Amino acid sequence: MTRTISTTPTWWLSATALLSAGLLVSGCLSNDPDAVADDDDDGGGTADTALVGDNAELGEEVVIGYSGPAAGHGWMSAITQAAQEQGEELEDVDLRISEGDNDVNLQISQIEQFINDGVDAIVVLPFDGAALTEVAIDAMEAGIPVVNVDREFSSEFAARTTILGDNYGMGVSAGEYICERLDGDSDAVVAEVAGIDSLPLTQDRSAGFEDALADCGLEVDHRVDGGFSVSEGESAAANLLQAAPEIDALWNHDDDQGVGVLAAIENAGRDEFFMVGGAGSANMMREIQDEESVVEATVIYPSTQAADGIRLARLLAQGRAMGDLVQLEVPREIQLYAPVVTAENVDQYIDSAFES
Amino acid sequence: MSTEDTSHDASGVKASAPARGRGGPRAGSHPDTSVPGRAMSGTEAVVPTGETSTVERDLRPVDSEQKAAPTFQLSLGHSLGLVLALVALIALGAATGGDRFLSLSNMTTILSQAAVIGVISIGVTFVITAGGIDLSVGSVMGLATVWATTLGTQAMANDLHWIVLVLTALAVGAGAGLVNGIIIAYGKVVPFIATLAMLVAARGFAEIISGRQTQIVNVPEFTNAFRRSILGVPVIVWIFILVAVAGWFLLNRTTFGRRTIAVGGNAEAARLAGIKVKRHTMLVFTLAGLCAGIGAVMMLSRTTAGSSTHGSLMELDAIAAVVIGGTLLVGGRGTIVGTVLGVIIFAVLTNVLIQNNLDQSVQALVTGGIIVGAVLLQQRFSREAKRR
Amino acid sequence: MITKGQAAPLLQMSGITKHFPGAKALDGVTLDIRAGEVHCLLGQNGAGKSTLIKTLAGLHQPDDGKILWMGEPTSIPNPTAALQLGVATMYQELDVVDGLSVAENIFLGHEMATAGVLHRRSAASQTRELLARLGHPEISAQQEVGRLPAAGKQVVSMVRALSHDAKLIVMDEPSAVLDPEEVENLFRVVISLKQQGVAVIYISHRLEEIRRIGDRITVLKDGRTVATGLSVEDTSTAELIELMTGHEVVADFGGAPTGAISETPVLSVEDLAVDGLFEAVSFSVRPGEIIGLAGLVGAGRSEILETIYGARKPTAGAVRMEGRQLRAGSVPDAVRHGIGLAPEERKSQGLLLEEPIYRNITLSTFARFAAGGWLREAAERGAAKKQATSLHLSPPDVDRRIRTLSGGNQQKAMLARWLVHGCQVLLLDEPTRGVDVGARAEIYTLIRELTAQGTAVVMVSSEIEEVLGLADQILVVADGRIVDQRPAAALDEHQVLDLVMEGAPA
Repeated sequence: MTRTISTTPTWWLSATALLSAGLLVSGCLSNDPDAVADDDDDGGGTADTALVGDNAELGEEVVIGYSGPAAGHGWMSAITQAAQEQGEELEDVDLRISEGDNDVNLQISQIEQFINDGVDAIVVLPFDGAALTEVAIDAMEAGIPVVNVDREFSSEFAARTTILGDNYGMGVSAGEYICERLDGDSDAVVAEVAGIDSLPLTQDRSAGFEDALADCGLEVDHRVDGGFSVSEGESAAANLLQAAPEIDALWNHDDDQGVGVLAAIENAGRDEFFMVGGAGSANMMREIQDEESVVEATVIYPSTQAADGIRLARLLAQGRAMGDLVQLEVPREIQLYAPVVTAENVDQYIDSAFES
Repeated sequence: MSTEDTSHDASGVKASAPARGRGGPRAGSHPDTSVPGRAMSGTEAVVPTGETSTVERDLRPVDSEQKAAPTFQLSLGHSLGLVLALVALIALGAATGGDRFLSLSNMTTILSQAAVIGVISIGVTFVITAGGIDLSVGSVMGLATVWATTLGTQAMANDLHWIVLVLTALAVGAGAGLVNGIIIAYGKVVPFIATLAMLVAARGFAEIISGRQTQIVNVPEFTNAFRRSILGVPVIVWIFILVAVAGWFLLNRTTFGRRTIAVGGNAEAARLAGIKVKRHTMLVFTLAGLCAGIGAVMMLSRTTAGSSTHGSLMELDAIAAVVIGGTLLVGGRGTIVGTVLGVIIFAVLTNVLIQNNLDQSVQALVTGGIIVGAVLLQQRFSREAKRR
Repeated sequence: MITKGQAAPLLQMSGITKHFPGAKALDGVTLDIRAGEVHCLLGQNGAGKSTLIKTLAGLHQPDDGKILWMGEPTSIPNPTAALQLGVATMYQELDVVDGLSVAENIFLGHEMATAGVLHRRSAASQTRELLARLGHPEISAQQEVGRLPAAGKQVVSMVRALSHDAKLIVMDEPSAVLDPEEVENLFRVVISLKQQGVAVIYISHRLEEIRRIGDRITVLKDGRTVATGLSVEDTSTAELIELMTGHEVVADFGGAPTGAISETPVLSVEDLAVDGLFEAVSFSVRPGEIIGLAGLVGAGRSEILETIYGARKPTAGAVRMEGRQLRAGSVPDAVRHGIGLAPEERKSQGLLLEEPIYRNITLSTFARFAAGGWLREAAERGAAKKQATSLHLSPPDVDRRIRTLSGGNQQKAMLARWLVHGCQVLLLDEPTRGVDVGARAEIYTLIRELTAQGTAVVMVSSEIEEVLGLADQILVVADGRIVDQRPAAALDEHQVLDLVMEGAPA
């Protein structure tokens, strides 16, 4: 009978050890730009515009709650990061940040928690504005001013002040830029890589885009959903490029998914068209600066909205007016502007752009 | 004579015994009592020594050599339904998209799309065949893309060789799979829960590492190496083909595959037959993790970026492709060919829907219908194949 | 409820025919059942017993033939109809739901409820009443069925039949999972049912049971009734076996034990123990010897085999093969040293039912036919084929799925597995469970032939006759201890039964 030397069950221990050693050697989890030679800029993103004038004076200590969706995405990370920095900067503000999963239910309970804690003001960037309206009304009724950021509630009574990026305007800016570039060529083929289709903000952007194009006799010939993620953007764009053998212009809603879109374009070896981005990430701006890829422009969607929201919430909680306004109360609504960044003005914006 | 029974040939007659038919128990109780009408096979009972007992015993004469037809566990019949579904989809694509759909470059695009999920699904096929489930493959893939694109790793890759990136992704994938395997096999946690935990944890870890930002690959050699085409076929499609072929051989032609099927078919029977069920379970999950790591490398080359959002919900697509392919969800039967077909069906479907400019919601609806339709077809044909 | 002798029979079936694709399962079956009788249904596996009782239970529809229920022509389109008529069936695989309580199981499918709200209390009290009626007041109505032993589950299954107010209860091999004491209990229940006027169709492979409680016998062979209405008293066992098999059989165990062919033990077990299961088990087996473990179900017999085999980890003691100590709790080590186990539950512990026969035969040896991890299926299949042929596996096509084989042939495939492996010691746990009378003798002969070649065998069987007939030495196991060890020749069935029972309180 052949006897084999029995293998000990501990062999996998050594395998694990080997593997982890391998990982340590190869990877090191360091992601700190300073630790490596490369000199990337400090991904912070927000322009540091310090408070000036009356509003800079310290007021009474207030507690502000901020609730936003999960930051699984460059723009959203930038939003949250800017909010956090704002909280640290304002010495009279105790900022409590609770990030949701992309789960409306969770976000509702976070706001309920703020109400129970009796915070002085709440800043909400809802995952879905309509779904969070009720709980925001509850907060308002409890006497807590709510600042609604980016995605609008469905009721006037749900927020004291609303800060909106201009989604429709973003579509309009992109559409107008494309109209201008194509210069009246009404046969031109226009493609669109949208964000998550089920979100109202995507629908607004597309509506603005469509309206602007219609003004110069163009329409969207191909449209796909890029899902606001790199991988989905890549796969949607790859299929889109197959479906459309000849394109003149392409608008991509979001620079984060744009990384994937650009990869798909390079994979397909296509360069007969120009591309306009959305949101305004630093790396898209670098592409614009280099003038080597199809990316010609991007439409900024400010990633400072939540930070602005926190400043306004502070004023509301302290009962103060906005500096530089004659008005004694903080306004009902502020809409941020969506400028188009091209090679000509990119230097002006690149420093405040977010890293995707 | 007493040593004769070590012979292996078919004619070697060892013990005396009458040949008998079905249901006909022998009359008489002594080996040397002959049964009327039945021929004795020849020699007397052999009394071997203890040492000879490891050789196979051949108690009675072998009648005749039977046809030694090779058995393919998967006849075409099992996959016929899928092939039909695929042909129908392609016909639909050709009807609505025409030459553009049938063009070589579109086919390449479809295969490139299928490649990442395909490689991951092949790993999942092994896990499901072994009676497990792996919900973590998508997020492990995401973690691997992030880990391999940290500034630290990329700097090292630029200093040494782009292979560092690849090895890191593979090691992260296999390592996560190994952790799954150890927790499941030795910690006795059910696979559903263990891999669900890994799904959540790996995603979280990836977010921590990346700071939830997209990490762009700045290793040009890596990008160049993987974004080439060989013989007109992109490298990642070649990887998919290689992994599929290797997976097929591994499942159908190796002891590893046989053990996988045995463990999934009846873990207790496998254990009592002397198979190291725990160790094998661990290896199977490690394999799935390794496939996720390979998928990560392919994802990096396709998107040129690592991100914690990579691969989200991919586990469901992979499981759907595997089950549509005909692998039994309860284990014990797996098919790589089916999985590959399942993945390609999904990729073609997406492509056809986008060609027709349908919106996301319609795509989702149609995809649901196709899943059910493909499974119904597949079941019908595999039933018929079984009947033969 | 007692019917008069002259009244129409409770059930008459005549000319029942049932085709399945490619096979005729029933081909003109005729029988009649009287109220208050125990009617035994005999036949080898594949004779059509299962199909017949499934027809009665409403699971199959006959293609042809008549069913009269209390004289009225009847059809049984579905299981509910069967229950409404008063026909309840206890299947061999106990069809109880482990996670539910005794009472919930009993009223499963006909819950006592108003508008979906269960009447738990009245269900419980009715359950208690029925359990008392069957002489099992010790089973609690609230107990979870999964925690009951096999015998208890069977009682639950029987109570369920009674709860339907059954006039006819079909019992498919009810004694297969019971030990002798529990079988006695079963008999008491059957007799009490009979006294209450309930008719019982009793299926068993054990002829001695039929002698104990049966009234009349119907024998099936190849889907046909070969004899019906035979009186149990007037029919000899030889006659019955001849009817079942179609030829004369002298039931035996393949000859006198050959005994050890060497004095050096091949396997020795030293003070083996598993806490809470058994303790201080020591014995040794020599090549060519058969050791039989006799004892009640739950006495620790199977656990002893499993521990020797490494499938359980011992808390004390050692197992040695030819003097070398085996790694505790390692099946691969035991297999490597030439120990093979044919487990008690073949289907759940031994076989890959959906896989081909040859792969089941080579399950523990396929790696041997591989080169560097690559399977060589031709060699593997050839080796399996060789053993299958030499064991007269029927049908002989090793590419079929093993599910399609009868119990006896599945057991042969299990033995073939260890023949391909080349075992020095075979551990057989209930080697003839689920094996019909004809095939049993073949298994016995096979075991004999193996020992004649020097294989040592340790076997466990609930059938004392079988242990006595095959083994050289008998170890009596009671309550986790070996209470006696004697040569089989020095014991008879009654003595073993006495030892098995007496050992229990110790």
